[in-house]
Amino acid sequence: MKAVENGGTAIGIRCKDGVVLAVEKITTSKLLKPGANKRTATVDRNIGIVSAGLVPDGRHFISRARDEASSWRNIYKGPIPTSALANRLGGYVQAYTLYSSVRPFGVTAIIGGWDPESELLVDGQVGTGPKSGSGGKVEGVKAGGPALYMIEPSGLYWGYHGAATGKGRQAAKAELEKLDLSAGNLSLYDGVKEAARIIFIAHEDSKDKDFELEMTWVSSLDGPTKGRHEEVPTGLLEDAKKAAMRSREREVEDDEDRPKSHDGERMEE
Amino acid sequence: MPGFDFSNYNRNVALHAKGVPLPKATSTGTTIVGCIYDQGVVVRPDTRATSGPIVADKVILLRSQSKFNCEKLHYIAPQIWCAGAGTAADTEFTTALISSNMELHSLWLGRQPRVVTCMTMLKQYLFRHQGHIGAYLVVAGVDPTGIHLFTVHAHGSTDKLPYVTMGSGSLAAMSVFESTWKPHLNRKEAIELAAEAIKAGIFNDLGSGSNVDVCVIEKDKPTQLLRNYLKPNERGQKERTYRFPKGTTAFLKEKVITKEDIGKYVTVQELSSDEDVAVVEKMDIDT
Amino acid sequence: MAINFRDGVILGADSRTTTGSYIANRVTDKLTQVHDTIWCCRSGSAADTQAVADIVSYYLGMYGIVNEEPPTTPTAAALFQELCYENKEMLKAGIIIAGYDKRHGGQVYSIPLGGSLHKQSYAIGGSGSTYIYGYCDMHWKESMTEEEGVAFVKSALQEAIKWDGSSGGVIRLVVLTAKGATRHVYLPDDGYKGPGAK
Repeated sequence: MKAVENGGTAIGIRCKDGVVLAVEKITTSKLLKPGANKRTATVDRNIGIVSAGLVPDGRHFISRARDEASSWRNIYKGPIPTSALANRLGGYVQAYTLYSSVRPFGVTAIIGGWDPESELLVDGQVGTGPKSGSGGKVEGVKAGGPALYMIEPSGLYWGYHGAATGKGRQAAKAELEKLDLSAGNLSLYDGVKEAARIIFIAHEDSKDKDFELEMTWVSSLDGPTKGRHEEVPTGLLEDAKKAAMRSREREVEDDEDRPKSHDGERMEE
Repeated sequence: MPGFDFSNYNRNVALHAKGVPLPKATSTGTTIVGCIYDQGVVVRPDTRATSGPIVADKVILLRSQSKFNCEKLHYIAPQIWCAGAGTAADTEFTTALISSNMELHSLWLGRQPRVVTCMTMLKQYLFRHQGHIGAYLVVAGVDPTGIHLFTVHAHGSTDKLPYVTMGSGSLAAMSVFESTWKPHLNRKEAIELAAEAIKAGIFNDLGSGSNVDVCVIEKDKPTQLLRNYLKPNERGQKERTYRFPKGTTAFLKEKVITKEDIGKYVTVQELSSDEDVAVVEKMDIDT
Repeated sequence: MAINFRDGVILGADSRTTTGSYIANRVTDKLTQVHDTIWCCRSGSAADTQAVADIVSYYLGMYGIVNEEPPTTPTAAALFQELCYENKEMLKAGIIIAGYDKRHGGQVYSIPLGGSLHKQSYAIGGSGSTYIYGYCDMHWKESMTEEEGVAFVKSALQEAIKWDGSSGGVIRLVVLTAKGATRHVYLPDDGYKGPGAK
């Protein structure tokens, strides 16, 4: 548990038209190559995972997630729904709490995905059916959409509007709650800005250490990533970082004459 | 020399190459039929829905015997029975295996065995063996969900019908059902109808013959096995004797060999009566 | 055969099962349910198609429980295809899958002998289908009403029964819509007029 609590902060925000994942990657040495050793990973075309805690455990977890996504594809000939992936990984992580021969996972992982809202085609099918009319092309049916889950070392997982884990999670959660995510108004671009800002706030606790901001996103099919999970483009990432630093400076000035408030933590293990 | 001896195998291959046909498994000429009666099964489900609880749930299963006076009805569970056609050994061992598995299964569940379970086990087992197990079965029985009648073919396909026939005499038997079956039969009518169907099989199919056995399965009653319900093929008293009188065949010469003459070559032992068995040689074995 | 119509899908089949020239079952039900509103039409070997449908039915049942939502028609089609393709050397199975789900509405898929999967407006298969390619092509309309759809399927099957010796018996239909599954039976006694839905 300690390993998870003290890892770099990771957050996920579920916006109306996509999901943003962001992580504060503490750089332990100046000799490390910037931009290498990613902490976020793509698991299936439309799903990404960011993990906080023990890095090797996170890598193994992601490898398992990829296996699950690929086995689903082999059986059902289509992408795994994010909820089903979270369920399977939750079961996998839980199993590591049961046996004396293994230790539990030292990671809390945030899974973000966009489940396709379009008609699902079976991999390898021939033809697409009728061009118009009935036959799988129903108008106005709500299907798919953004999904965000967080799995704890116990195997416990919930769906979230905004999720945070790692050392700065308290501050990050306080900021996420202010965003009123459940109203479902936040756009993906705003989400990117907010995510960067929150990671910078969360970094306050370990100011003495250097860090890199790593950020990925996944949008709807007609959005900027066309339903795929990708890294946030460099230009946008830099803009978000600059905006985050500016707002941070402002807040520090404001904070001089404002008492600090502590939000009680809601979910604790 | 230790190890496997393939000389018989090589002999069989050589014989086969010379045109000697392979021995065939005994396939019994058979007529088996099954029929559901009373309000159990009706063609229109609306009548079933309004008939309320089925009062007398009964199934009857009849079959004929062929060349052998063998038992072609197979026990699966107290209220589930099978009639088998096709390869005799296959029907016998398949039903014995499924019967065993059904008993373990119902012990494990702590419930009455169901007919569909039996049918599913049989079809999956037979499908797995791709028709090489030549068992053609009629499965019938009563369970808490009602009365059921199925046929299971050797390749693993199943049918669910109010009356069924199988075996080489099935065509003749089916013709009886198709021409005389009607919904809402009572017990007596159903047994008679099925017996007629079996008789059609016995008389019109060369393979099927001799007598009719009946198995009646009713709800909350012990299953009744009526062996030799009908014996349409009793051997009557022959009107003439067909024995040939002594001396019918002409012969050219006669030579009598006395006991003393033959005694020079073999041991001759005197028997006191016909039942007395002479022990000429004894083999000593460890006991 | 199975078709799409405005509000869903209709499956239809004759009821004849033969072993050589003998009719082993004249009232067979070749329309098999594999989930609440996902059904299939079986043609080819009775044993093979029953075995495949039983396996898919088991998988879809498990899918519904594990994932807490009913499986969709493409999911069912994917499972059928995998079984039919991977075991194509051993199977003689021509299967048409038709289903209704909330997300896609009605859909029709066809899996012919080799195990390929085809999404179609309507699909015909089995020994009698060769006789009605022209008839179906001539009379097919996109987005028919339920009455039109039933009439189309029934009349096409009547043609197949008329020309194909291996098809016959009663005509069975299943109509799948948002409201669920409805069965129809049409008997040959009165020229396939009734009794209809039940």
